[in-house]
Amino acid sequence: MPRFHPLEVTDIRKDTRDAVVITLRPRDADARAFAFTQGQYLTFRRDFDGEELRRSYSICAGLDEGCLRVGIKRVEGGAFSTWANEALKSGDILDAMPPQGRFFTAIQPEKAKTYLGFAGGSGITPVLSIVKTVLAREPKANFTLVCANRQTSSIMFREELEDLKNLYLGRLSIVHILESEGQEIDLFTGRIDAEKMRMLFRMWIDAESVDTAFICGPEPMMLIIAESLRQHGLSDDQIKFELFASSQPGRAKKRAVSQQAASSANSCEVSVTLDGTTRSFRMPKDGTAVLDAAIQNNMDAPYSCKAGVCSTCRAKVLEGEVEMEVNHALEDYEVRAGYVLSCQCIPLSDKLVLSYDE
Amino acid sequence: MTNDPDTMPIADYLAQGGKLTSPENVPPRYRGELLRLMSSFVDSELAGSAGFAAAINWAPGIKERIAASRITLEKTDHAERVLDLMEGFGTDKARYEQAHDWAARGPRDTLVDARRHGGDMRLSVFHYPLTGWTDAVVMNVLMGSATLHAVGELARCSYQPLAEVLRDILPRERRHMELGLEGLERIVVTGRGEAAASVAYWMPRVAETFGPAQSDRFDRLKALGLRHDDNETLRRAWRAEAEALLTPLGLN
Repeated sequence: MPRFHPLEVTDIRKDTRDAVVITLRPRDADARAFAFTQGQYLTFRRDFDGEELRRSYSICAGLDEGCLRVGIKRVEGGAFSTWANEALKSGDILDAMPPQGRFFTAIQPEKAKTYLGFAGGSGITPVLSIVKTVLAREPKANFTLVCANRQTSSIMFREELEDLKNLYLGRLSIVHILESEGQEIDLFTGRIDAEKMRMLFRMWIDAESVDTAFICGPEPMMLIIAESLRQHGLSDDQIKFELFASSQPGRAKKRAVSQQAASSANSCEVSVTLDGTTRSFRMPKDGTAVLDAAIQNNMDAPYSCKAGVCSTCRAKVLEGEVEMEVNHALEDYEVRAGYVLSCQCIPLSDKLVLSYDE
Repeated sequence: MTNDPDTMPIADYLAQGGKLTSPENVPPRYRGELLRLMSSFVDSELAGSAGFAAAINWAPGIKERIAASRITLEKTDHAERVLDLMEGFGTDKARYEQAHDWAARGPRDTLVDARRHGGDMRLSVFHYPLTGWTDAVVMNVLMGSATLHAVGELARCSYQPLAEVLRDILPRERRHMELGLEGLERIVVTGRGEAAASVAYWMPRVAETFGPAQSDRFDRLKALGLRHDDNETLRRAWRAEAEALLTPLGLN
């Protein structure tokens, strides 16, 4: 299981009004674990008012820069990104898991590959890492990058992108599409939609020559671009996505759980929520697992190994107390947040409220 | 990955063909269904490989022995590739592999409930024992072609890391089926009767692996972008292909 390691913040600088770029250094002993591939991300953890938040941010450095660097844009109401933008300073320590993610293709220096990249807002971070790496390590490759932003001042890494364009003259072309800033050519103003994509393919991009397209941005933008790429003949294995959002809520909040004391009754009133439907039933407190009781009550709850190993049956206890007999899959922070492996979960209290939907 | 605020509900994104890219952006119910699909694949590959291992020693010649060894090896490798993805969700890989007896089989002639049976998530067809070389080759051809349809379907799924792994696996699974077909071509020269009996035994059992024609779970998985073609459509496509493979061999 991936473990957290301390990283030292060696540099932090403002990139735009609401984004910072943070350079990080692992301990010497962890250097190998933090060797990354272009396009990967780091997952950080930090305690906010007693609740652990985990956030993932893409690495923006190229493989040849010899450092670990992430870009973090401040999100309205986002606990972690606001803290990183406003309180984090050089010399601080951040806990991070080794790099993860598959948003890349293998480097093939001998090939003359044609890449296409689409980056919406802070979606530029992993794409920047890819651009820098493939242009440096695949000398015959060329890259067309389409960046979508609200306005010029919100373009992350704007200067760095200009420098790269000059460094790789003829191999890197960059198209900026700005939502709320008029430009001379209509194509470059507004949001990316199906019509803009058609114009891009007519005027800028030869779809047939493209080997791989990378897309990172808001969901609607990714859908529109992917659809257009398919219409222009790209297959699914030529289109690489990196999704923006995490499934976790952005705001740190206290968990409101009433912990009932264990009692001596020999059955438990259980209500289980699955796919938005809640079913209540009574189950014996004789060592029967909540998952088995739910299945006996005709609920199609997810599970696989039934040995506390795979985590398919993960659910969240919203009220009541349980005991997990075996847990090889959930981490301490998940258990603290109320998650259980329902196949291993024996009720202790007389009432139990559990959900597979959270 | 940037954790910007959601720009559209994840359900809408998935309904429109959007892809999820890592354990970090998978919602809870999607997570449960995805892990269930991956477990079923891993368990079936492990059970398939373990059951086929005996065929190495039934093999009538060196070529057949190599083919059987290769199939046994590669199916375990395919299981590991998907198990590696499960590890990203917290699955304990070492314990998972040890949780069940993958070579265990039930009796040949007792009907196994097509729904989950026993402790692991293998497809029901992997609870039936093989009886010898011919039987192993027939099962491998029929289940091999069924695997191409089932895995081909999942290779379009909305969890991009799984889709990518399955797309890499598909050509090798195809080769396994073809190796079986080459073996079967040699078998029918002298043993058509025995092969025909095995075909009759395995056809309905392999057909069952596609699941019930009407399935609430399919509808749920489709809404999540984890499935596209329904069970019956896949089963029909497989049956047509199986018949096209068997007819030239006089086995249909």
